[in-house]
Amino acid sequence: MNCTQVRRSLFFYADNEMGEELVIEVREHLVLCPGCAREYDHTVKLLTVLRRRCARASAPERLRRRILTSFPHRQGQA
Amino acid sequence: MANRQSAGQPAPARGWDFEAAAMPFVDSLYNTAYRMTRNAEDAEDLVQETYLKAYRYYDKFSEGTNFKAWLFKILKNTFINSYRRRQQRPPQSDFAEIEDSFESQLSEEITGQIKSPEDELLENILDEDVQRALDTLPSDYRMAVILADLEGFSYKEIAEILELPVGTVMSRLYRGRKLLETAMLDYAREHGYIREREPAKMRSRPDAKGSPQAPAEYRRRAGS
Repeated sequence: MNCTQVRRSLFFYADNEMGEELVIEVREHLVLCPGCAREYDHTVKLLTVLRRRCARASAPERLRRRILTSFPHRQGQA
Repeated sequence: MANRQSAGQPAPARGWDFEAAAMPFVDSLYNTAYRMTRNAEDAEDLVQETYLKAYRYYDKFSEGTNFKAWLFKILKNTFINSYRRRQQRPPQSDFAEIEDSFESQLSEEITGQIKSPEDELLENILDEDVQRALDTLPSDYRMAVILADLEGFSYKEIAEILELPVGTVMSRLYRGRKLLETAMLDYAREHGYIREREPAKMRSRPDAKGSPQAPAEYRRRAGS
């Protein structure tokens, strides 16, 4: 794998979604290539920020009630 | 009018089963619906419609397959059929622009430019800028990123939800995350917490959590 191919695969490497053989190849490349290693650190940082900093919206209580009361098996119940 | 109970309506006991199985996912479904529709009212309608459809088709759900992914697939189809055509942002031209800057950014990366100002910028980014950036993504990319990074689905699960080959999911995630990064950096620069050649003036957030960890720890697996 050359640098371009490694850099294109960093998300998948960080996600643990790569085949074992490719993982070994990328890992070795990252040890030997400081430019790609830096790029990998940046990728990890990007994913961390995205996953931690995007606040989650919770379903409002009125939506839960609305869903529950729409279920036919609850119809006729008080 | 035909008997409404006749077609595809589960028996009452099955109804209670459905409720017990499906309601724990209401927050996840709502979060995704909210990020996709970008407004609370549409998100509530979308989730309500998803539950009604899922209820009606519960008999068609085959046991042993991924129930959470099945619910998300219904949400996705409902979104595409009823909501996407109402979504106006982002205009096509914006998208082309982002893609262009993405391409030039990629070529810079490959020439090995040092990225440290961007790293610092990412660490100091405001939460609302992350959300704003996500909102600018075209919906196909946004959906893939939400499912992977906010809901923690695996690529295989996302492929099932989106009814796409895994390779297409990977390319949507790649492009989506790169577009998102470009948008995040643009917002951050706009807010002025990065100044070229003046890294010392960068403001720091008291709650910034940017320390790198092993990638495996980021992976939140869904369902299971």
